[in-house]
Amino acid sequence: MTETARGFRVFPVLAALALVVAAPAGADGAADGGIAVGNVERGETLFHLCTQCHGAEGQGNPDIEAPAIAGLPGWYVLSTIQKFKSGGRGMHPEDYAGMRMRPMSLTLRNDDDVTHVAAYVAGLPASQPVPLLEGGDATRGAALYAPCIACHMPDGSGSAALNAPPLQNASDWYLLGQLKKFKGGIRGSNPLDPFGALMVGMSQMLADEQAMKDVIAHIMTLAD
Amino acid sequence: MIERYLVQASTFAADIDFVINLIAVLVGFWFFLTAGVFFWLLFRFRRRDGVPSEYITGEEKEHKRFISIPHYLIMVCDIFIIVAAIQVWVNVKQDLPENPHAEIRVIGQQWAWTFVHPGPDGELDTADDIVTVEELRVEVNQPYVFHLESRDVLHNFSVPVFRLKQDVIPGRVITGWFEATKTGTHDIQCAEICGIGHGLMPGRIVIESAADHAAWMAGKAPNQLAATVRGTTVAATGGTKLAAASGDALNAN
Repeated sequence: MTETARGFRVFPVLAALALVVAAPAGADGAADGGIAVGNVERGETLFHLCTQCHGAEGQGNPDIEAPAIAGLPGWYVLSTIQKFKSGGRGMHPEDYAGMRMRPMSLTLRNDDDVTHVAAYVAGLPASQPVPLLEGGDATRGAALYAPCIACHMPDGSGSAALNAPPLQNASDWYLLGQLKKFKGGIRGSNPLDPFGALMVGMSQMLADEQAMKDVIAHIMTLAD
Repeated sequence: MIERYLVQASTFAADIDFVINLIAVLVGFWFFLTAGVFFWLLFRFRRRDGVPSEYITGEEKEHKRFISIPHYLIMVCDIFIIVAAIQVWVNVKQDLPENPHAEIRVIGQQWAWTFVHPGPDGELDTADDIVTVEELRVEVNQPYVFHLESRDVLHNFSVPVFRLKQDVIPGRVITGWFEATKTGTHDIQCAEICGIGHGLMPGRIVIESAADHAAWMAGKAPNQLAATVRGTTVAATGGTKLAAASGDALNAN
């Protein structure tokens, strides 16, 4: 498939996202900040495969670079899986974890299944992952976090309207890895990931790994 | 026989099909013959009222010949198979092309293939290398030497239309070759169970004319990632440490 042809596939994804964002809460949907997405029972069935890496409760596993996903908003889980399916993520030769995730996303055969599993993940209780990074200065990080506020909000709760995921319950090791990937163009450089491209630019504001650790140390203080 | 169902797209595909066919014909002949004799004997000497069965120890020469003669004949068939197989093995596995058109690096990981192509300079491990995921591009009618590496576990680089199947072993660099004979796009598979995503480890090979290949190459900017991929695999470690590097999320990247 040509990149142009793939490019058109992003529009149905965005349209689906818009529908998800705009839809009212439904009886069979998981609570997702007032947004209804998918069938939770079907999502739970589909999620069994995901537990191999992300854990039974979606708590993640740093040993294999599988992030905690429990409680992430449905819109973000949905858009992320769709990005992996379309090749917008997991196609960069240095994104080893992403390359593991891409074939797994292809096991979800249609958009409905993606929506269902997103609903289930959104309904999983989130918890604050155990910090694993050392050496971050939260005070310095608070200043570095200032540009992030515009999208990720002062409390790190994110914004569906701006396609900015919440950072509150993210693992520190995962945030560091993603910041490095954004800064290095490993993530966000694919034309099918336009919102990732925004982060490529934003990540350039963090001069080095220490700056990344500092801002992550601040984010870790933003408990849900 | 096999080519009716799966195109032969490499110079050695027909040779390998020949050995497979030879084995199928010889083994198949003996299989159907012995199965036929077996069922004929069951029918011929079926139970009859008033006819006691005879106990045979199988030690008499006239009894043993029913085993020994087919045994010798099958061993003769084995000689044909071994001679043909060794000939193909030497041609495909022992010898490498003296003047390959290019060398490529194939890196397996759970669950994707990364391909490092030489850039316009034709040399691997230079700044103009082109790194792709899931898609290998080669020129038709040109011999290529490949180097297989694994970032994590055992994989198997399988190109069915080439009749090529080679294990990819962590810590080793396995070298082989192929020469495509037909243009087209075909599957690349992992033929070794490598984890839960094994069945979805996608890959494809695009075999194209020299002009198309040059046009594709011209459209690709030199990929600086090549240096990183190279540096963390063979050159730096003598093996494959990408698994460790990628798995160490706290310190890597």
